[in-house]
Amino acid sequence: MVWFLIAAGLSIIFGTLKVLNLAHGSLYMLGSFCCYQVTVSLAGVPGNFWLAVLVAPLVVALVGGVIEVFLLRPIYKAEMIYQYILTFALVLIIAEACKMIWGTGYHSVKVPWPFQGSVGVFGLSFPIYNLFLIAMGPLVFIGLRTLINKTNLGRNIRAVTENREMANALGTNVPQVYTGVFMLGAWLAGLAGSLWPPVSVVMLGSDMAVVIDCFIIVVIGGLGSLAGAFVGALILGLTTAFGLYLIPKLAVAFGFILMIIILIIRPYGLMGEPE
Amino acid sequence: MAHTLKAFGIMLATAALAAVIGLAPTTVLAEKPPIKIGFIHTMSGPISMYGITSAAGAKIAVDEINAAGGVMGRKLELIVRDDKISPEAGLREAKDLVLKDKVDFLAGTISSGVALAISGYALRAKKIYMINIAQSTRITEEKFNKYTFRFTTNATPYFGKGPALALAKTYKAKKIISLGYDYEMGKNSLKEFKDTYLKMVPDAKIIDELWVPLGSTDFTAHIAKMANSGADCFYLAGIYGGGELAFTKQAWSFGLYDKMKAVQPCAGDVETWGKVKQGDPYPKNALATCRYPFWAIKGEQNANFVKQIREMTGLWPSYGSMDAYIIMYAIKDAVTKAGTTDTEKVIKALETLKMNTFVGPVEMRAYDHQAMMPTWYGIMRFTPDLPFPHITDVGMLGAESYHTVEEIKKIRGK
Repeated sequence: MVWFLIAAGLSIIFGTLKVLNLAHGSLYMLGSFCCYQVTVSLAGVPGNFWLAVLVAPLVVALVGGVIEVFLLRPIYKAEMIYQYILTFALVLIIAEACKMIWGTGYHSVKVPWPFQGSVGVFGLSFPIYNLFLIAMGPLVFIGLRTLINKTNLGRNIRAVTENREMANALGTNVPQVYTGVFMLGAWLAGLAGSLWPPVSVVMLGSDMAVVIDCFIIVVIGGLGSLAGAFVGALILGLTTAFGLYLIPKLAVAFGFILMIIILIIRPYGLMGEPE
Repeated sequence: MAHTLKAFGIMLATAALAAVIGLAPTTVLAEKPPIKIGFIHTMSGPISMYGITSAAGAKIAVDEINAAGGVMGRKLELIVRDDKISPEAGLREAKDLVLKDKVDFLAGTISSGVALAISGYALRAKKIYMINIAQSTRITEEKFNKYTFRFTTNATPYFGKGPALALAKTYKAKKIISLGYDYEMGKNSLKEFKDTYLKMVPDAKIIDELWVPLGSTDFTAHIAKMANSGADCFYLAGIYGGGELAFTKQAWSFGLYDKMKAVQPCAGDVETWGKVKQGDPYPKNALATCRYPFWAIKGEQNANFVKQIREMTGLWPSYGSMDAYIIMYAIKDAVTKAGTTDTEKVIKALETLKMNTFVGPVEMRAYDHQAMMPTWYGIMRFTPDLPFPHITDVGMLGAESYHTVEEIKKIRGK
């Protein structure tokens, strides 16, 4: 479900800005490192992890804002390939920056109060924090749907997504919406990045591991579709789990096989719309 | 003025640093020139603890040898350089040490990439190079050259063959499920483990092989599968460092360690688990290999060594520090035996070297220049003696855990 948060960010950025952000995994990793930094700086303060969950995504959103305004904005009119080169450069730059600041070591964040311990589910003990993560997926999904469908900001986003020139002509500040959407996407990646460390470790290289899964998710679900990202994340998770039960040795390939099948029969993804 | 002050400050800082890590050349008394050893290691950055403890281990040995009169009346002189975990930097330092400082021996390093670069240069410069940490089997197998010697374990006893032998001696599990990173070392480790173990425990079975993409930190689906697989033991293939910490955290929270036995080859070394405290997730009761369980080795010499490393560096002694100590004595023994520092003659002496070290007898194998360093194994637990989880009920493996000469011939033949 954490992957859904990242995929959702990737998807809405593409939907509105038409930018395929290769550096999305890097923003996620940056979120993880920021979360670790805050928990360490505030060690001993009660609820330090939850403060980190508040602060880290905001930091990542700010970084996202800077990227959009200063780097992406000048090249919207250029060919698609320039965006790939730019966002790929960002992958390298962010990874090196993390390495310079936090080193190549591994960092750990403890499972926060009140989610320690586990409960019995079908004879297997299941960590409570993982249940919390599972619940976060639908919550964020509903939150985003409400934001996009019910609020003024959401109306602007939809307008720009639908027809950029028309929205501009009608007085919507398109660049501002672009920046806002990119920051929202970055915030989601940062949120995922700061929620994940308690079940794992913070380390370099997590950016690439994550971004590949997220690309599979958005391809399955349909680029630019929020519901698609949600469904895609569910499908990928289930395929991996079932793949492990059926043919464990080949489970690594299942996500890709699924992606290929979907690309053949529905190239625009399950929830996407043909262009 | 400001400029002079700054220069002075840098000088002072350098001198202080040199004093701390033992860069300062040992004062030479006698008229005979010293035997110089260029020690290249990763002295800066996040994994510098290996380099710092290794240099300290080497320095302890050099000081002891010099205090006892040196080697054939000549003192040993240690020159420490930083490779910054970069093959280019390592190679540059090696060249500089050989050409400018005119060292007689090269030693050190952790990264196999750096070690291969230096080993290649050792061949060209015809200097002996002695490795104290780098583990890649390539160095002594496919890329072997006669100037390179390894005084540490390699990936075979540590990841694959050693754990299999240890499992056959301890848990003797019958139904094993494996989980590995999907890359060369993961696949190789499982193959070695399988080949060795199934020969020793014929009624055992690997019931499933699970793989995750390299670098992945989400093992929850795999852990659920492992818990329901009916296996009585799991084996981790090539998952170490951050991946292993992440796996352990998740396996711990799913109660996997209470459900079945575990074989986690890398869990034994203090470098990964030294920061883990009681109450944190750790590989409970897992069978692990270890390259220097300093807490389990008897004898005053070992206790003294641990104490000195702690005092000099404030760190726990890594296996690199012990290996570096042994390398300095290997130089002493080989040069004494050869009666000269002439490279070709010292190589001959090293090839038949047998040493009695404080961790036990160590023998050099002439065929691949791999010292038969012991590998230890044991069960991961907390005891009141140490603040981190460590192997207990420690056993030792020797030459039997390495590739045999025939196996290496086959590998090189390919």
